[in-house]
Amino acid sequence: MRDWRYHVGENRDTLLAFAVFLIMFGIYTGNHPAGFTANVVTTAANKGVILALVAMAQTAVVLTAGIDLSVGMIFLLANCLASWIVVGSPGMTALGLLGVLLVGLLCGAINGLVVIFGRLQPIVTTIATGAVYFGLALFLRPVPGGDVNSELADSLTGQLPGGIPASLVVLFLIILTIWLPFRRSEIGRAVYAVGSSEAAAYMSGVPVRKAKFVAYCLSGLFAAMGGLFLTFFTYSGEASAANGGAYTLYSIAAVVLGGISLFGGKGSVIGAVFGALMFRTIGDLLFVFDLEPLWQPLFQGVVLLLAVSLGSLRLFQIRNRLDLFG
Amino acid sequence: MKSRSCMRRVAGFGGVLLIHSIFSVASYAAGPKVVSGPNSDPNCFAPWTENVKLFQFQRKAGPYRIALANGFIANTWRIQMIKTAKAYASQPDVAAKLKEFKVVSTGEDVAAQIAAVNNFIDSGYDAIVVNAQNPTAFRPVIKRANDAGVVLVAFDNTLDTEDAINVNVDQKGLGRYWADWLVKNLPNGGKILEVRGVSGTSVDRDRHDGIQEVFKASGKPWETVEVLGKWDDPTAQKVTADAIAVHKHFDGMTAQGGDTGVVQAMIDAKHPFVAFGGETENGFRKFCAKYSADGLKCASGGTGPAQVAVAIKTAIAALEGNVVPQSIKLPLARVEDPNLKDGQDYYSEQSDNFFVGNAFPTCGINFTAQEIMGQSEANQ
Repeated sequence: MRDWRYHVGENRDTLLAFAVFLIMFGIYTGNHPAGFTANVVTTAANKGVILALVAMAQTAVVLTAGIDLSVGMIFLLANCLASWIVVGSPGMTALGLLGVLLVGLLCGAINGLVVIFGRLQPIVTTIATGAVYFGLALFLRPVPGGDVNSELADSLTGQLPGGIPASLVVLFLIILTIWLPFRRSEIGRAVYAVGSSEAAAYMSGVPVRKAKFVAYCLSGLFAAMGGLFLTFFTYSGEASAANGGAYTLYSIAAVVLGGISLFGGKGSVIGAVFGALMFRTIGDLLFVFDLEPLWQPLFQGVVLLLAVSLGSLRLFQIRNRLDLFG
Repeated sequence: MKSRSCMRRVAGFGGVLLIHSIFSVASYAAGPKVVSGPNSDPNCFAPWTENVKLFQFQRKAGPYRIALANGFIANTWRIQMIKTAKAYASQPDVAAKLKEFKVVSTGEDVAAQIAAVNNFIDSGYDAIVVNAQNPTAFRPVIKRANDAGVVLVAFDNTLDTEDAINVNVDQKGLGRYWADWLVKNLPNGGKILEVRGVSGTSVDRDRHDGIQEVFKASGKPWETVEVLGKWDDPTAQKVTADAIAVHKHFDGMTAQGGDTGVVQAMIDAKHPFVAFGGETENGFRKFCAKYSADGLKCASGGTGPAQVAVAIKTAIAALEGNVVPQSIKLPLARVEDPNLKDGQDYYSEQSDNFFVGNAFPTCGINFTAQEIMGQSEANQ
């Protein structure tokens, strides 16, 4: 019984994100002219999964009390690279997928190495490396274009029997096969320990450097997966600095909406996924409610502010802030 | 009483479902037919080249539901574009054909724009007009639209496709138009100041090529001095002032943008007024009208935000089953000296930055500033 309570308390923020998302999505589909249909859900899922993967990338770094401003650019680089190499026969396509994921992993690893051995602030490091990754993306795709294996793209952005969006299933599998084993591993716990208190973790013999390195690698990998999904959704690659910057900022918003502490050590990528879906739904509300285009950014900002504030409502209920840690 | 109204509602709902299913069955077979002609309105829907395919969509009964899926909105051009779209949709003869006209702006994110178009298709809109964030990313959506019998028209930022309708701006033709005006006004050739745009862009290159092509073809001696005005009033004013200081005298001028600044520089340097081929800023046309008698003979042409109206007109024509080209050359919105009229071609009360190239005579499209400014940016 106590065990059950502990788990609910531990995942309170994730559950809150899930609940708020459900309410928002209900409002959205309830007002949508086509209603809650497989097509509407698939469209929302595809758009949501792209951001969810970038938000998961951001989460991996935020958990170590860092911040990664290059996730949007790794995402773009993966998109541009995928629009070159994820084509052709099934074998070639598989090799291409592997290549894109490896490049993502490599970008993350470079971030991690510079932060760990250069002893630089993550925020500064990733601004610089992000610019490098964007430069590479621009080199690959000076103008938008390219192609992708359309059978693969169609099946991953389409629907499974019963109208279930394939992209959601893929996202679920990614969490199941990568995140959950990582979270339960020694190194996964080390990431949380480093984020909570790096000094205490170090003194307790936690492999701080290794934990950080793995977190950055994971971040690069998730961002590359997001880039792949963007490619599947758009059938092409584009190196747009504005787009990369936007996804970086959205990912931070999604992380906060998902109940992950920017001070590190608290939260889960599952929260980030719901944060990302919630963020997308806020954008979708513009579709069903008739708002002036010039008011749309204001509306989005206000809803975002309210949603972010929900997480801190608990502060008003408690007498002593230390209770939060109890 | 209550139960009866409830039953009626159920029956009505069933009826809607029935009609919906019939129509969706009918429309799934659609997608445009490629026909050999004839073009329903060759004056307005000028094909981009002679080899462009001609589309005929399955005729649908009106009134129509049309959506505008815009990308980013953060500049005056886009805001005026949306206002113009709504002004066009509320002109009486257009409004009679429309049941609904909805505008959504999704920002820089191309995935969000694609999702919006998907949503419009799923919501049963008859036609969708897009200003695309990315020319290559819409392939899956184009296919979905064609499968669902939805007319997709791209303008301004068009799509790399032969399966949806593109309304293209003829940048080279605009350059030719300006040079033609100078050739007409300077029959013996002369020294021309050419204020170019942002270097490296295809728009700048195409307009420049058009100008030079006409000069070369005229067989007269022309000398052009090129400066970069970046389509911006202050920059254009500065580079023009520099050019006048160095070269003392020009026989004619042409500018791709920032024309108000170019004329201002001419006035400041006490350079005599000369023939001018320029864009469609309100401030520029104000100067043209004011100094026409002093020698500022202007041709003002461009492809401003009002091109959205041509895109909507094309969508309606396609829905009515008329034959339209797949790739359309946007007609020029233009006016030449001495035909500039206040309240029609320019507006002395409006700001200098208002785009006034809103008349497409070959398409029967014209707006007053009041019509455009009277429209809020609200979605309908």
